Amino acid sequence: MPRPEPKTITFTIDGLEVQAPENVMLVDAAKHGDVEIPVFCYEPKLGNPVGACRMCLVEIEGIGKLQTGCSTPVKDGMVVHTQTERVKIAQQAVVEFLLINHPLDCPVCDKGGECPLQDITFGWGPGHSRFIEPKRHFVKPLELSPTIAIDRERCILCYRCARFSQEISEDHQLVLLERGAHSYISTFDGHPYVAPFSGNIVELCPVGALTSLPYRFRARPWDVEDAGSVCTLCPSQCNVTLTVRDDRVLRVLARQNDEVDDGWLCDRGRFAYPALGGDERITEPLIRDGGELRPVSWERALEAAASGLKRAGERTGAIAGGQATGEEGFLLARLLREGLGSPHLDSRRAGTLPLELHRALSDPALQAKISDLEFAHSVLVLDADPIEDMPILDLRLRKGVRRHDMKLLEASSEDLPALRELALSLGQHGEDVVILWHERLTAGPNGPAATQALLEIAASLSMSEVPGAGLLEIPAGSNGRGLREAGVLPNAGPGLCELDDAPGRDARGIAEALIAGELAALYLLQSDPLEELPERDLWEQALERASTVVAHASFLTDGLRAHADVVFPSEAYAEKEGTVVHPDGRLQRLRPAVARPGKFGSTLAGWQVLAKVASRLDLDLGVLTGSMASQQLFDAVPFYAGLTLEEIGGRGVRWQERETAVTS
Amino acid sequence: MTPVPRYAHGSRVPGWDTPADLDKDPATIPGRGGSPSVPVPAELRAEIEASMALYPNSHSATLPALQAAQRLHGWCSPEAIEQVACVMGLTPADLAAVATFYDMLETEPVGRHSVYVCTNISCSLSGADALLAAVQEAVSEAADGASEFNVRAFECLGACDIAPMASVDGVYVGPLSLADVPALLDDIRAGRPVLPEKQLAKRACADVEANR
Amino acid sequence: MSDKLLFKDIDEPGLNTLAVYRRRGGYEALRQALQLAPEDVLKQLEASGLRGRGGAGFAMGKKVSFLPKGSMDKYLVCNADESEPGTFKDRELMQKSPHMLLEGIVIASYAAGANRSFIYIRGEYVLQADVLDAALAEAREAGYIGEQILGSEHSLSLVVHRGAGAYICGEETGLLDSLEGKRGNPRLKPPFPANQGLYQGPTLINNVETLSTVPTIMRMGGEEYAKLGVQTSTGTKLVSISGQVRRPGNYEIELGIPSREIIFGLAGGPLEGRQIKCWFPGGSSAPVLTAEDLDVPYDFDSLAKAGSMLGSGAIIVVDDSTPIVELAIKLAKFYRHESCGKCTPCREGTNWTVEMLERIDSGEATPMDLDIMASVQEHIIGNCLCVLGDAMAMPIGSMIAKFRPEFEAHIESARARADLNPAHPAGHTAGHQAGASEQALAAQGAPGA
Ligand SMILES: Cc1cc2nc3c(=O)[nH]c(=O)nc-3n(C[C@H](O)[C@H](O)[C@H](O)COP(=O)(O)O)c2cc1C
Ligand code: SF4
Ligand code: FES
Repeated sequence: MPRPEPKTITFTIDGLEVQAPENVMLVDAAKHGDVEIPVFCYEPKLGNPVGACRMCLVEIEGIGKLQTGCSTPVKDGMVVHTQTERVKIAQQAVVEFLLINHPLDCPVCDKGGECPLQDITFGWGPGHSRFIEPKRHFVKPLELSPTIAIDRERCILCYRCARFSQEISEDHQLVLLERGAHSYISTFDGHPYVAPFSGNIVELCPVGALTSLPYRFRARPWDVEDAGSVCTLCPSQCNVTLTVRDDRVLRVLARQNDEVDDGWLCDRGRFAYPALGGDERITEPLIRDGGELRPVSWERALEAAASGLKRAGERTGAIAGGQATGEEGFLLARLLREGLGSPHLDSRRAGTLPLELHRALSDPALQAKISDLEFAHSVLVLDADPIEDMPILDLRLRKGVRRHDMKLLEASSEDLPALRELALSLGQHGEDVVILWHERLTAGPNGPAATQALLEIAASLSMSEVPGAGLLEIPAGSNGRGLREAGVLPNAGPGLCELDDAPGRDARGIAEALIAGELAALYLLQSDPLEELPERDLWEQALERASTVVAHASFLTDGLRAHADVVFPSEAYAEKEGTVVHPDGRLQRLRPAVARPGKFGSTLAGWQVLAKVASRLDLDLGVLTGSMASQQLFDAVPFYAGLTLEEIGGRGVRWQERETAVTS
Repeated sequence: MTPVPRYAHGSRVPGWDTPADLDKDPATIPGRGGSPSVPVPAELRAEIEASMALYPNSHSATLPALQAAQRLHGWCSPEAIEQVACVMGLTPADLAAVATFYDMLETEPVGRHSVYVCTNISCSLSGADALLAAVQEAVSEAADGASEFNVRAFECLGACDIAPMASVDGVYVGPLSLADVPALLDDIRAGRPVLPEKQLAKRACADVEANR
Repeated sequence: MSDKLLFKDIDEPGLNTLAVYRRRGGYEALRQALQLAPEDVLKQLEASGLRGRGGAGFAMGKKVSFLPKGSMDKYLVCNADESEPGTFKDRELMQKSPHMLLEGIVIASYAAGANRSFIYIRGEYVLQADVLDAALAEAREAGYIGEQILGSEHSLSLVVHRGAGAYICGEETGLLDSLEGKRGNPRLKPPFPANQGLYQGPTLINNVETLSTVPTIMRMGGEEYAKLGVQTSTGTKLVSISGQVRRPGNYEIELGIPSREIIFGLAGGPLEGRQIKCWFPGGSSAPVLTAEDLDVPYDFDSLAKAGSMLGSGAIIVVDDSTPIVELAIKLAKFYRHESCGKCTPCREGTNWTVEMLERIDSGEATPMDLDIMASVQEHIIGNCLCVLGDAMAMPIGSMIAKFRPEFEAHIESARARADLNPAHPAGHTAGHQAGASEQALAAQGAPGA
């Protein structure tokens, strides 16, 4: 679908000639001239402006009435005034109106200090009120859901939250009831507002009417620091800002990146994090002693791990979980291949994929990016359930359907003839076709044929030639793509390069070999096979039989509690340093926002543990800092060549879009 | 301290001052996406489906559907709204938002017969406030008052030529005097046409003499 | 005026049936129109100078011409929400001459190229909606509505859609949202309904009276019609007159006659022994005029020049027995009740105005509050999303401006009562009893009193 190509125009605002893209709304155009027009209801993320709050009134020469800057597209030659007496009076009037029923309980309001209503009152308000009647009073705060409190006194009826529910998440649970000055935000008949993305309304609210219950009274804006990072709880890898106080993450906010998350977060990403700081965290190394895992010194744990691995030698297998960074995966692969001489490592859940298929699927020309989903003529969701597999895409797909008339289709690869049939009609709405598929398509006996079919369909639609078309895979693990590219595969090295030696066993093969006694040790990098991998029974036996199980983990899950011999505490994403790769090939950077757990932050980082274990196996990995690990990774993967952490920065870099992008 | 109500008469809908019941499930579309369906009387379903078929977009049928549900249930009860939601494939919240917006949709249980007394400018210039008070008093004193009558002050009903007037279950009568009140209520109780001589339907308009 | 157009046969028994309507020449205009090209029908509408009868007075022909050409779905919506206080003319037309409206709708849809139409009628008009439904069935049966009307290429569907009680659904974009099954919140304009209206398609919205006039225009010819009335206000107009007059009712007048002729000539003037204090010339949303303005010609431009508006053509007469504060409270409460709540100045401003007025009435105000109230009205006017806010602020503003001495006297006397009896602040009823003395106090100052 053709995407809007902005033309630059010149208009005049407050006497200043300013260039701006044509047809953007005046409030946005004004920013090009450093002029701020105050807004409450305007939020471009929510779709078309509604012009409800009337805060953004400006004067436009040639038009009698004041106009709402939020809904007036800028045109060449327009002459706009935001500082005239008329505009000032109107702005002051709107602020006065909004405050007549606002309780002004800022001292006890969580929004205080980061409140648009405070800021706009200060910047554009009249400074006093002539309203002397009693204000409205409600019982407050009330629970709107288990995580959100509503304070109806503070609500200024900007409609943002209801618009989110209607037009973005389309759950239609949060609405306005009643009419006029009686209007209030509510759900139906006392039902809670529970929906996968409900927490976004807290961030949308421009006053303290919707607040986060977990964050309630936890901090003031001046007590906290913001730290940008990336949520790695699922493959969406939404960009986040972490609110940190006293070295603890108290809150997770969206950090808008249109190419990743469009500025939204799912409730898991938003509300699960603070739980990660809970008492359950593993903060010290543990080793099994008399059947029980007991805390020991780092020295003893490293020693125990190394000696177990040394005993097993090439009879060691390794599994990396989706939370691991590319650097950790890369170092793990070196540890296995170079330190132990074992080729048996995997990061995929779906079993080995022949290397040529793997490479064909990763062809840069075939890769769709996230924004392609929105502008595609049609999207086929294949073997995937976005809300489960990569929640934030649910919103992106809805946006495509709602705003760009994208056709959304669903299919399963179980019935390949039917899929091929459907594929024939895929192009009928337009050539920009994106197929969003899940790693599970490649699994099982049907996997190779399904993969082959997918590639054929892509070829039949000439996806590699059409810029807006392509394939987008949702890997099972959050950083599934990054780990594969780092070489955590039984049949490929870094950058999907061919191995000199024979390929190793995949995850299932490792389990079978452990049971058969062909493998003896297992290295689990942030993975508990009982939780994450299919065939629990198989893994139950495999873990039982393994002579040494070394794990990096944040929590003691069942499999580890019963079977691990050595457990190293691993970092949560907010403590981590390194890179992950988004499903569309965007390298994103994790930056530690808080210290690692343990006394005085004594816990070692994942890469450090790997390096120390390696050195006890007489392998010098050559990493003394996290960024050295990144450098090694960038040097090893051909299509990352020349990349630096600075280049990745806060927004990430899609390697396919870099100069050095080459088909491996 | 008792909270100061926002308006003397408060809100028509309970709910501003109560938290969500966290034990309830979220109110999604009944019968869709795994949420339980609700039983809908066959006639109501048929009526709603017929309305939906009239419009290029079936969403347009919310008002006729809610009106039908109100006729059946007496008011837009949560149950009524859920039934409409189930047939129309909408969330109950979307329908509650609509139901609470319109004056003729009742969101609390009311008496069987509606008596809307117009109290807007023209009627009140002709004594509507006293009329309303008289009707309300007569109804409040009657044993069957609460169950039979839903007396409401209404905004301009578009019949200022017969001010002061009232709409009784949709039938316009006026001009009403205080003396008409007992007969009005009796006619309603008896199920007779209300005040036949004062019904708007009887009124001519074209010539000056026709008007009082 | 003797030549009535819309009301010509209005009281003829059975005019609501197809048989009688046809006997009176009904549907001939449609037959005639369908023989012309749509552009030629449009030309007649443009030539007639007919201005919208719903309130805004926008030229109907011009509005039709704004609809884009092309084969997309286009809609015609008849605004039969008639909720402007004092207005009851559409009711009369729909109840007594429904076929005239249907005929007008078919002709207008032909000119506009619309194939789906709706009559959005306020839910309170049960009888009228039933009459329309019956007429619609007859018209369908007779082939005036449906596929290939009278053998032409033009097809039209029509649905009578009953509202459920909300004044704001008379505002055209609020009406569209309501017709789409949502809350009746007005939309931002642009886009205007002519481009993006119902279901985002091009939509022509006209008032009942406007559309009912269309057959007459076809019959007379646009230019002939334009000879009636005055230059910028052509034709005849139905006027609903009510309030404190002897003969309230609907009258058809030729635009441009002196207002006095309507109020005194047709409606018989104020009740025995009473004087006109003020009058709303175009529904309660029009700024009030006083007895001094009685000679203003009743047409769009003259009333605008006099500082008010013709609006929906509803005259409400208020005599000197009514305290202005009481009138203002009624009025403001209506708009507070009907504000949709979407935009700030209207939602908060109507509420605040009511509270200030109630304070004035209960003796807790000072004359300074009048300045605040006047300034609040100014802050509402022109700053809202639709004009409902203005529709309160303009008449309230005009009352403060024209009857300030009476407001001040009211404040004084209410304060005096409140001080005498602080346990029972004077309220509405007390205000009533005090009415006479207030009148006396205000007599010297208030124009029209
Ligand atoms: C608050 C408000 C209420 C209105 N109510 C009505 C109404 O009840 N009937 C009507 O015909 N127009 C009403 N209008 C005017 C309509 O918005 C619109 O201008 C009219 O329907 C256009 O038809 P016309 O051009 O034939 O007059 C109202 C406008 C506003 C702002
Ligand atoms: S002016 Fe009033 S009725 Fe119109 S949009 Fe604003 S709040 Fe709604
Ligand atoms: S920001 Fe423009 S009206 Fe709210």
